[in-house]
Amino acid sequence: MRWGMVIDLKRCIGCYGCQLSCKAEHGTPPGVFFARVLKQEEGQYPSVRQLFLPVLCNHCEEAPCVDACPTGASFRWEEDGIVDIDPDKCVGCRACMMACPYGNRYFNDNPQHYFEQGATPYETARTARHQTEVMMKCNFCRDRVRSGRQPACVANCPTVARTFGDLDDPTSEVSCLIKERGGFPLHPEAGTRPSVFYLPA
Amino acid sequence: MERTRAKYERLIQDLKSELRPQREWGEGRGIFLVIGHFVVGVAAGTWLLSLFFDSRAAMASAFVLGALGGVSHLAYLGRPERALRMAMRVRTSWIARGFWGLSLFLAGSFLYLAPLLPSGAPWSGESAIAGAGYALALLGSLVLVVYMGFVYTASKAIPFWNSPLHPALYIAYALRGGTAVLLVGVALGAKVDAGVAELLLLWSGVTAIVAALFLLEIHGAMTGGNPAARRSVRELFAGRAALFFYCGTLALGLLVPAMLVWTGLTGPLSLGAMAALGLASVTGDFFMKYSTIRAGVHLPVWTRLAPLRHPVRAP
Repeated sequence: MRWGMVIDLKRCIGCYGCQLSCKAEHGTPPGVFFARVLKQEEGQYPSVRQLFLPVLCNHCEEAPCVDACPTGASFRWEEDGIVDIDPDKCVGCRACMMACPYGNRYFNDNPQHYFEQGATPYETARTARHQTEVMMKCNFCRDRVRSGRQPACVANCPTVARTFGDLDDPTSEVSCLIKERGGFPLHPEAGTRPSVFYLPA
Repeated sequence: MERTRAKYERLIQDLKSELRPQREWGEGRGIFLVIGHFVVGVAAGTWLLSLFFDSRAAMASAFVLGALGGVSHLAYLGRPERALRMAMRVRTSWIARGFWGLSLFLAGSFLYLAPLLPSGAPWSGESAIAGAGYALALLGSLVLVVYMGFVYTASKAIPFWNSPLHPALYIAYALRGGTAVLLVGVALGAKVDAGVAELLLLWSGVTAIVAALFLLEIHGAMTGGNPAARRSVRELFAGRAALFFYCGTLALGLLVPAMLVWTGLTGPLSLGAMAALGLASVTGDFFMKYSTIRAGVHLPVWTRLAPLRHPVRAP
């Protein structure tokens, strides 16, 4: 089994719902974005359009971050292909950050909070499980997926732009979408074999 | 809180930009990583050259530099108390290989050098322990000379570093640093089995190799078609790393030593000038590494290979 995600760029409206739901799910501190949305404009007046590119960890089959990690803190689960970080093993060398061609790894360097008055009780509760001075990244909401639910960004996308499923199953919805609609990964030239695919806008 | 807020705002700006500057290695506590890499490279180059030129004082300097480089690496880590875990992934990680290289080098050089100290050691300089130390230190120093360039080459996110020439460039830097330490050693009265002219010629030759490799790397970055690599070159020559490059690398690291080498090859060179040459060369090497690391720019996430086009500016 290899979990993967397909994001339909034609459906994405850039509402940041994925980013917010991810923040709510994981309680990530300021400056850490497991999911984010990039904006680009293309064309020339009067024919201009805005494109949105939601990005997250690509859970690569040939993950350069896993190879670069000196401690084994970055690893790939054999049973489902999810690339994860064991915070208890991370030394915070940030080699994985330099190895990731997608820029989706973050260093949680200080205890941070969103308001000048200090951490809210919600933030305190949500960030309690995060270690500081280590790397953080998306893990496809592995706990949710193991309990039979979808990742938070998929479950909360109001336009159903995201589809989650097994890339190893040729009959799964993600495999069919990639095949029928010409799904493409980011930076295929990097040879990382990502598990996140995009459908053309 | 203000500092954290400013850092956060800068990160948000960086994430919004198409070509995001690399800040983790080189800024803030990241300076310790640059210092660590630089010092360890000089230590390994000094050790190899001091074996060749039979200089025990230079070997001792290499050991001290190696230890300082290790401490600097630890100061950079987010969780230095877990540093021993860095030995785990030697099969795939160049940082893990470097960890082993430095460990072997420090252990081996200690075993080799301890009998030479005035207070002596329980084993003699001709014993099997000292011989094993010699072999370990040699192996460790070779790993150290090689590994740093590969750490940068393996950084797929930074196309400017992701060059096959980087390892060769770092090997040349290590030898240039080693030659500079030997020159400082000679100036301070250390016994080195080489004449001053020989060391000056060696410095000139290694510097020529460094310059050639650097120019080839710049040429590759400019012609390779990657916008992030081209931006890095711009950052190096006319951006946020330019001051360090022109003042530190070119003026202090190349022009000043080159003038002193010319003086030394055409006439007598005072001991003070020789020490200044070595120190200027080493300082220039540091700024070379610092400026190329600071010039690093992340690979843009939007890709031309995907059926998405780059933005067109409004008329």
